[in-house]
Amino acid sequence: MSISLKRVRAIFVKDYKEFSRNYAVSIILIFPIIFALLLRGTDPSLTGVFGLVLNSSFVILTTFAQACLIAEEKERNTLRSLMMTPATTMDVLIGKSTLVFAMSAVVLAIATYIFGYEPVNIWVFVAVIILSIILYTAAGTICGLFSKTLLEASLSIIPVAIVFTGAPGGALLVKDFPIFKVLEYVPSSQLVNLLNIRNIGYTTGDLLKPLLVTLAWTIVFIIVAVVLYQRRLKDE
Amino acid sequence: MNVIQVEHIRKRFGNKDALADVSFSIPKGEIFGFLGPSGSGKTTLIKILTAQLHPTSGQARVLDQPAEMMHHSVQKMRFGILTDNSGLYERLTIEENLELYRQLYALPKSSISKVLQFVNLSEERNKRVNLLSKGMRQRVMLACAIIHEPELLFLDEPTSALDPVNSAHIYKGLRYLHEKGTTIFLTTHDMAEAELLCNRVAILYQGQIQTIGSPKELKRQHRENVVCVDLINGEAYELPIDEGTADRIADWMKRGLIDRLATKEPSLGDIFIKMTGSELL
Ligand SMILES: Nc1ncnc2c1ncn2[C@@H]1O[C@H](COP(=O)(O)OP(=O)(O)OP(=O)(O)O)[C@@H](O)[C@H]1O
Ligand SMILES: [Mg+2]
Repeated sequence: MSISLKRVRAIFVKDYKEFSRNYAVSIILIFPIIFALLLRGTDPSLTGVFGLVLNSSFVILTTFAQACLIAEEKERNTLRSLMMTPATTMDVLIGKSTLVFAMSAVVLAIATYIFGYEPVNIWVFVAVIILSIILYTAAGTICGLFSKTLLEASLSIIPVAIVFTGAPGGALLVKDFPIFKVLEYVPSSQLVNLLNIRNIGYTTGDLLKPLLVTLAWTIVFIIVAVVLYQRRLKDE
Repeated sequence: MNVIQVEHIRKRFGNKDALADVSFSIPKGEIFGFLGPSGSGKTTLIKILTAQLHPTSGQARVLDQPAEMMHHSVQKMRFGILTDNSGLYERLTIEENLELYRQLYALPKSSISKVLQFVNLSEERNKRVNLLSKGMRQRVMLACAIIHEPELLFLDEPTSALDPVNSAHIYKGLRYLHEKGTTIFLTTHDMAEAELLCNRVAILYQGQIQTIGSPKELKRQHRENVVCVDLINGEAYELPIDEGTADRIADWMKRGLIDRLATKEPSLGDIFIKMTGSELL
């Protein structure tokens, strides 16, 4: 399957124009910033709070925006029209995802700055955030593919919110419910673990574990999203 | 050279044949009308020819390639398609919609003005699509389908639910494309439209082509062998074409009694109803 940068850019620009005029959806861009503003006064040692800001922003902003972009193209039949042009599946997916990625990255950078969080290792932190954005974009793609309308897209992110944003909270109950041990391995829990690493007494392994676990999730989600995208848009 | 060549195409959905056994070919430059009642498989065939569906059996060649090849970007540069489920970006203007297509097809900037003129929307180019009437919308979608000047154009009911003025706009455009040598595959429920535009038509029913030919040929084939005579006193006759009739007509003529004299040609609609046993939809 060929990818053309020109076509990817055309899709990106088109989606940017559409998104910026869709006030009902583009308003979500300010939520992470409002969260950060509201919660920034809290004790800085409470990194869990910042984890919550990030983990909920990923779903509300990244997953939701991508799901809406895809569901709307399906609802309006524009995706079908696009598929009849030289644009390939990957051109369309990459063009859209790049927009959602760029918006998420900028907004989360601002939120991080406002909140005043300083990571122990900036590179690992940035890498995990980048992987997470890609992961949640892929999740949004999957949600969008399963919904026919914008409304369905908004509802479809609820399971993602429960599993992903809720996992770190669930993981706290591991003493009572050993089964919740698996929630430790959800990327949102890994992110909280990473944020919890203090300046003293951590090993490279402590840093690498969240990175690798998130990477694995990201790869799996990308594959699922691409395969599903190609399947769901066939007529049979 | 045949632009489309279809051989024994069959398409089964579940346990029902949408297309049972369809064969025909379309030479370059023809406007071909594919007629049939609702659910007869017209859209299904277009999907097969544009690689959106695989046939259950049979072979189709499009633009000298197997139809499956039509999902390749290179082949997509060569055809255009407008269907009942084409869509436009509602929050973008007409021009912004076309700009997307221009870039996807890697065309020069001038192609937008050219195609806007073609569909008669140059004045409205900066209007948002969500403000357009249905007729304008359809013309924008046509513009998107032909901006790259394809060799082959698929049109699935391009004028359904349009008023005559908008339809006429589209016909004018199609005739112009036809003059430039574009091959056009058209489905429609409008028999007058088929008669007006198409070099040849096929009537599809129960998954098979019931008849195929130019509208003129079909009418001749299905002509009833009678003449209709209206007399000035208001009497009307349908008479067999034979010697007796010739004498009667000669007599009426001599006496100056004939108001109208015509052979009885069926309209394309009549032929359609005869072939499909169904009312026009
Ligand atoms: N994806 C599908 N799955 C199952 N059945 C289908 C599918 N697509 C079409 N059909 C069936 O195949 C038959 C032909 O449908 P098709 O859309 O090709 O008809 P059509 O001639 O285009 O009708 P219309 O004039 O209403 O557009 C119909 O009975 C339809 O229900
Ligand atoms: Mg149809």
